[in-house]
Amino acid sequence: MAPTLVAEHLTKRFGPVAAVGDVSLTVGSGEVVGLLGPNGAGKTTTLRMLAGILTPDTGRVLIAGLDIHEAPLQAKGRLGFLSGDTQLYQRLSTREVLRYFGRLYSMSDPAIASRTEQLIDELDMGAFAARPCGTLSSGQKQRANIARAFLHEPDLLILDEPTVALDVISGQFIVESIRRQRAAGRAVLFSTHIMSEAEYLCDRILLLHGGRIIDRGSLDDLLARSGCRNLTDAFLRLVGPAAPTPQAVGR
Amino acid sequence: MRLAIVWTIVRKELTETLRDRRTIMMMIALPVLLYPLLMMGFTKLQVSQREATASRASRVAVWGTAPPGLLAVLSDEGRIVVEAAAAPPEAIRAGLASGALHRPALLDTGTPARQDSDRAAAPGPGSAEPDSPAMLAARAMVAARRVDAVLVLWPDVMPAMAQGRAGRVSIYFDSVREDSLEAQRRLADRLAEYRRALVGQRERDRGLSEGFSLGLDVRSTNLAPDQRRSGQILGLFLPFLLITMSLLGGFYPAIDLTAGEKERGTMQTLLCAPLRSIEIIIGKFVAVWAISLIAAVANIVSLGTTMARILPGDQMHVAPSTLAMAFVMLLPLTFFMTAVFLALAVFAKDFKDGQNFLTPVYMVLALPAGVTMLRGVELNAWTAFVPVVNIALLIKALLVSEASPDLIFLTLVSSTAWAALALVLAARVFAREQVLLGGRDSLRSLLGFERQPGAEPTPAFALTAFAFGLVAVFYGSLLLQGTGTVTTLLLTEYGFFLLPALLLVAAFGFPLRKTLSLRRPPMGGLIAAVLIGCSAWAVAAGVLIRLLPPPESLVKALEQLLLIDGKPASLWVVWLVVGVTPAVCEEAFFRGLILAGLRRLGVWPAVIVCGLLFGLAHSSIYRLLPTFFMGVLLTWLVWRTGSIWTSILAHALNNGIAATLVYNKELAAMLGAGSDAFLGWKPTAVATLVLAAGIAVLLRTRPVVRE
Repeated sequence: MAPTLVAEHLTKRFGPVAAVGDVSLTVGSGEVVGLLGPNGAGKTTTLRMLAGILTPDTGRVLIAGLDIHEAPLQAKGRLGFLSGDTQLYQRLSTREVLRYFGRLYSMSDPAIASRTEQLIDELDMGAFAARPCGTLSSGQKQRANIARAFLHEPDLLILDEPTVALDVISGQFIVESIRRQRAAGRAVLFSTHIMSEAEYLCDRILLLHGGRIIDRGSLDDLLARSGCRNLTDAFLRLVGPAAPTPQAVGR
Repeated sequence: MRLAIVWTIVRKELTETLRDRRTIMMMIALPVLLYPLLMMGFTKLQVSQREATASRASRVAVWGTAPPGLLAVLSDEGRIVVEAAAAPPEAIRAGLASGALHRPALLDTGTPARQDSDRAAAPGPGSAEPDSPAMLAARAMVAARRVDAVLVLWPDVMPAMAQGRAGRVSIYFDSVREDSLEAQRRLADRLAEYRRALVGQRERDRGLSEGFSLGLDVRSTNLAPDQRRSGQILGLFLPFLLITMSLLGGFYPAIDLTAGEKERGTMQTLLCAPLRSIEIIIGKFVAVWAISLIAAVANIVSLGTTMARILPGDQMHVAPSTLAMAFVMLLPLTFFMTAVFLALAVFAKDFKDGQNFLTPVYMVLALPAGVTMLRGVELNAWTAFVPVVNIALLIKALLVSEASPDLIFLTLVSSTAWAALALVLAARVFAREQVLLGGRDSLRSLLGFERQPGAEPTPAFALTAFAFGLVAVFYGSLLLQGTGTVTTLLLTEYGFFLLPALLLVAAFGFPLRKTLSLRRPPMGGLIAAVLIGCSAWAVAAGVLIRLLPPPESLVKALEQLLLIDGKPASLWVVWLVVGVTPAVCEEAFFRGLILAGLRRLGVWPAVIVCGLLFGLAHSSIYRLLPTFFMGVLLTWLVWRTGSIWTSILAHALNNGIAATLVYNKELAAMLGAGSDAFLGWKPTAVATLVLAAGIAVLLRTRPVVRE
């Protein structure tokens, strides 16, 4: 079966700055792939191109076989996107936010209602689902955000540092819900700075540095190649201050 | 664009915005409080000041020797108190007593002084009294607040009155001080009363009939009805208030829905949802516009209620229909401002940045509404094209019942054009991912003026070119007004239609042949062009003009076109100036450049929009229908035949024949178009048949395949 997400030779420049150079990757269904890299490596730009928010200068993105440039509405309909710094509409309640996005994803009202109840139950949001989002704690907000991204049961989830700024308990909550999505057969691509999360969750890992993928494989492959005992050490060896500078990205 | 999605966005944005207390405050609470407070405060203050002034007696100094009975008349009603203690300085007193002082003659400063026969008036503009010792002394006394005014009875009063001449008196007062002005009015009134009695006595003494000296008994009556009088006062500040307040309603929502969303990161969420950017912008636009309109309604209702309830029976009265019209005028204005706000606010990276962005924009766009406070600036063909100013002046004109249908039409057309431009700009901004995610983009690319090899004009380009062209033609032809009709016409046609069309094609690197449809016409197309060109004018003259007959002035203006130096030009000159020139120039612009931009809309939208723009370019509501009709036919000709030469031919024939009929009255009379502007029914029927034949030929002509 074809992978749920296929990206081929993506590049993106912002004026003189080459943010991403020739990135290709795939994520299959039931697979969690981690995108790791230091700050400024091009993770967010890559994820935004994959989500159809940014148009790549070259290359193409297929979601469930649909080209996101040629059939953006259909492709985006199969995608759930969540970023760690995303907030919600301050003066709408979680239920209202879910109803709004359900309609934007062209779901029927009964489908929105039943799916909302299911997610409120699953993510334990009953206590605050009717409160305006502006009054929620950051953990509650992120749960509501996850519900928003999962609402339309997308084939592919792209999560940009979903646990950033969350405490351990809330972070764990998110991690567990990602595992459940994998079990449900969804493809998940996520970026993180928390190595333990990546070790725990990822079937495969992509290491992004200077806008290029400098290594990829399962956790064991990466550890074996780097000769390190854990991902943090391997990460530091590959992209840390002592690591060789990656070849500059160019056209 | 999916309307259900747009509606979902509108509803969400409205719900969220209406839950924001800040918006409600600006939108409803402020206007509801503002007008009553303003009106009450203003009128109370005025009334209490007037009452205070009226209830007080004026303190007056009287210098010199008073004729018998004068002092009694002055203090007759108890509103003037002669301050005996306010004596003049000794030198003045002595001068007046000895007869050494005289009233100084007025300085002539060009125009004759106004000599008011019935009231002791202050010297009018154009004359002034030179500084004299008495005047200086009076000024010092009034300035020291010892009295409100000084009445000087010059030494010749007594002898003059005894000899039947006019005695000289002067009132010195300070018009800036309300008390002093009131004292002057009262003194003048009482002196006039004294004079009436005196004149009556003299007439009786000499056996003259009553009114002999009066000569004419003049009365002036103000013809302006109460509504216009109050409208004039309201017209000074009301448009400004209405406009600034309505715009304020949309100010915060515009920032919140764009920069605010960027700041909160929710814009990104929206962008990865299956939505088109046009759906997002239209949804947000409609929401902000709706809020501006709610603010406009709140302002108008609050104003109307204030007028009706707080000032009952007063002169301040505004008809509900006037308020309703003011609301209609605010529709295109708020539309324009909403689009501008959204387009600019989205460049800001957060809410605070957005406020910094929009506050100067708001000031620059809203302050011109204060133009209504300037005397002499009125709605005319010039000001009707200036955004914001035109609406402000139109509301003012409505308040004094002075708005002509042509100017209302011009204002609405130009406002709608501005609004459409602003919305196109906003839509383009929203299509820029970098702007939405926080980056910046070049303004040039936003305006559709980015030169790309092999580029073709877009609908946005066509509309932009039209809007700029319209404004340029307008101001251009006004500038050329003094140069004679024919010169103006030629310069306008070549300078503002043909030249810009060619320049724009060159500047943006559009392919010339393709853009202007410079292809050899098919034979069928030429036949159709001749049939349509010979008949369309007649159908327009016979049918369409009856629906909205043009005013006499327009007919006269058209006839004027055919004169050179007041003499009829020869027929071939008429054909060249009125027929061929507009055909070539206007076709290059409309059926060339504009149509090229509209092509991707598809045949009927392109034909109708192009026809409409052509009609609007004629800037007159009376010519809109015939020119729109003509524009549609000409556009369709080019669409079917792929050749602009067909529409040039039809256009030239159409204009030339119409001009010939105005030129040759006998020929016109033969066709039954003699006395009035309409064509008789018989020739109209024949023309309709010819037109139908032309359309039939055109339908059979094979469309030329576009390269």
